Amino acid sequence: MSHSILLVDDEEGIRTVLGLSLADAGYNVSVAATGEEALRLFDQSRPDIILTDIKMPGLSGLDLLKRVKNIAPDVEVIMITGHGDMQLAIQSLKQDATDFITKPINDDVLEIALNRAHERISMRNQLREYTENLENKVREQSARLVEAERQLAAQQMMDGFSVGLKALLNAMDSTLGGVFNELPCFVAVHSRYLEIIAANDLYREKLGNLVGHQSWEAYYGRDKDSNGCPVLTAIREGRGSRTEEMLVDKTGKGIPVLVHTAPILDNDGEVELVLEISVDTSEARRLHEELRLTRHRYGQLFDEAPCYITVQDKQFRVVEANRRFREDFGDAVGGFCHEVFVHRQTPCTGCPVQRTFNDGQPHQYETVVTSRSGEQYNVLVWTAPLRDAAGNITEVMEMSTNITELRKLQDRLSNLGLLLGSTAHGIKGLLTALDGGIYRLGSGLERNNTERVHDSYEDIRHLTDRLRKMVLDLLYYAKKRELNWEVVLASHFAPEVAALVRPKAEAQKVRFTIEVAPDAGTFEADAGALSSAFVNLLENAVEACTADRAPDKKHAVHMAVSGLPDRVEFCITDNGVGMDRETREKLFTLFFSSKGAAGTGIGLFVASQTVQQHGGSISVGSEPGKGTTFVITLPRTLPDSAKSEPRHPAPAT
Amino acid sequence: MPHKILIVDDDPYIVKYLVDILSDNGYATCSASDGADAMAVLEREKPDLVTLDLEMPNEWGPRFYRKMTKEPAFKDTPVIVISGLSGIHLAIRNAVASLKKPFDPNKLLEIIRQTLGEQERSQAAQASDDE
Repeated sequence: MSHSILLVDDEEGIRTVLGLSLADAGYNVSVAATGEEALRLFDQSRPDIILTDIKMPGLSGLDLLKRVKNIAPDVEVIMITGHGDMQLAIQSLKQDATDFITKPINDDVLEIALNRAHERISMRNQLREYTENLENKVREQSARLVEAERQLAAQQMMDGFSVGLKALLNAMDSTLGGVFNELPCFVAVHSRYLEIIAANDLYREKLGNLVGHQSWEAYYGRDKDSNGCPVLTAIREGRGSRTEEMLVDKTGKGIPVLVHTAPILDNDGEVELVLEISVDTSEARRLHEELRLTRHRYGQLFDEAPCYITVQDKQFRVVEANRRFREDFGDAVGGFCHEVFVHRQTPCTGCPVQRTFNDGQPHQYETVVTSRSGEQYNVLVWTAPLRDAAGNITEVMEMSTNITELRKLQDRLSNLGLLLGSTAHGIKGLLTALDGGIYRLGSGLERNNTERVHDSYEDIRHLTDRLRKMVLDLLYYAKKRELNWEVVLASHFAPEVAALVRPKAEAQKVRFTIEVAPDAGTFEADAGALSSAFVNLLENAVEACTADRAPDKKHAVHMAVSGLPDRVEFCITDNGVGMDRETREKLFTLFFSSKGAAGTGIGLFVASQTVQQHGGSISVGSEPGKGTTFVITLPRTLPDSAKSEPRHPAPAT
Repeated sequence: MPHKILIVDDDPYIVKYLVDILSDNGYATCSASDGADAMAVLEREKPDLVTLDLEMPNEWGPRFYRKMTKEPAFKDTPVIVISGLSGIHLAIRNAVASLKKPFDPNKLLEIIRQTLGEQERSQAAQASDDE
């Protein structure tokens, strides 16, 4: 007995005395004064047994126990405890300590504890041998059997074999849970002339008494030579084999089997007999088929489900991805979800996979992901935990449904609803005003009141303009427009827009000027849509001036165009009434009109929509009483999303 | 002396319309373009009746109405709401009537005639009681 033992105690006396007596008892002893030192020694020499004091400064015995069990669960650890450490002792047993002994150490008690450790070690070794060497055992056992059989007549051999097989099966029983015992085996012995000379009961019962018949007769679709049975192969090649075959039972029904053959050689080394063992695999095959079908179904479900499905490990690495996911996001397996799916370096905040790993519950999450072709999708993500047999969450499945279209539709529908509801009010006002115009025109004509006639005619003209503009804005928004884009020269675009607004500005006595920097350059835009957006913004500026009642103020609107490497900036400044903060923030929302009955509330909304569609942005600075500045920034190159429609051939501006 | 009517509306076209309808039918008019304005005009002109739009910049109709009814001199002045907002009949409970834009001018005139006629009768009755 030369087990190695590591003795750990902070008291030198105990180390010396105990060390000596352990060495006397034949152990290979190493000693450590602290838990930390013990860990180091443990790593180097891996002793079989550790004998450690439970209370030590620094790493305690209990900590040491946990650490070494973590590294090597098989190591036997005996705890040395003082009086009154019972609680610690029990804790250590819970942590799988072998035993504990109390100070002062009684030699007998120590011996009992050590014996217990030995028992555990040898039991474990046996167990390991059994499990690890089962295959060897089977081989050994069959070799032994075959060896024995050589000496015996065929029938005797059968008996011996049955016993051996039973023993073998019993030995395997513990690991395979008895399944093997239940499996029916057909056993037969064949002569070298391909004649069945013995068969076991089950063989005779199921396949019929074929003793004296030809070896291949029990097989389905096998014959004498060109398509010989496994027995023939064993005779010809002189060695055993394992093949899947089909046997035919008494009633002519097929039985799928796994056939093992073993040739038995005579003293000259020639094949004399062939042992044939067939295991009925129909149940196994049925289960296998069922499994295959289920797998196939799940596989199909996984691939064809109308969503993106991935399975991820704790590091958010994609372990599996379904076909749809792979189509839109590339072969993601092995990559990180946040990289492949969302194009981020770090996991998303609020990651539902993380949450499911944490609490085992399914979670929902809505986010925007980018496909490999650069398209953005709104997705609704569901997660579900995947557990192993022990119930631990090993992976999380993530299912993401593409709700981009739904979101777009929702946005559009809610905006349309808002639009209709709110324009209704504006239209009612306009209709009332038109009623008024018509009444005044009619009554003016009746009374020969030329002044009223002229005035009401002017009013009707203005009102009709307003109505037209409102209806056009409405139609513009109600119809989804694709950009009919072309390359636009800023130095042409700006004066063209200015020409549309200037007459109105001048009629209101507002000075209107523009200035285009030489570096303004070109940009890609739908000139038609964009110019109505600019007209809206510029008219808004002019109206801000006319609404200003400050006396003697010279009102002016100025548009400055300048170029940056990747974008063009339009800066529209007025010195009109200005806006407070709330007005500024609500400015681009639908139907917010600061102009009372004069505004439809759609103009600026449509303008900002158009600019956004171009991938640009509008910012506003304003101060009540001082004026307002709009800065419209447009990229020189349209984003891909805006170019979904093929470019229309359009004359250059 | 003709009855005087205060028209409160932020849309100048509608103000013109009402002014013409009412003056064509023998009423004197004054107008204001929002609630704040209206209060000043009210004090100055002391109208017999008010037509009131609800949604206006600066001060909305209902707020003006509350202020007006707090003044003892005006608390009984009849108000006719003329607005494009739906559900307007709820906005001002004690309004004589609520008309939705676009409104029927004859109906408006009818309501005004009735309202002012009744008021006159009750005032006459009060006057005779006082005697």
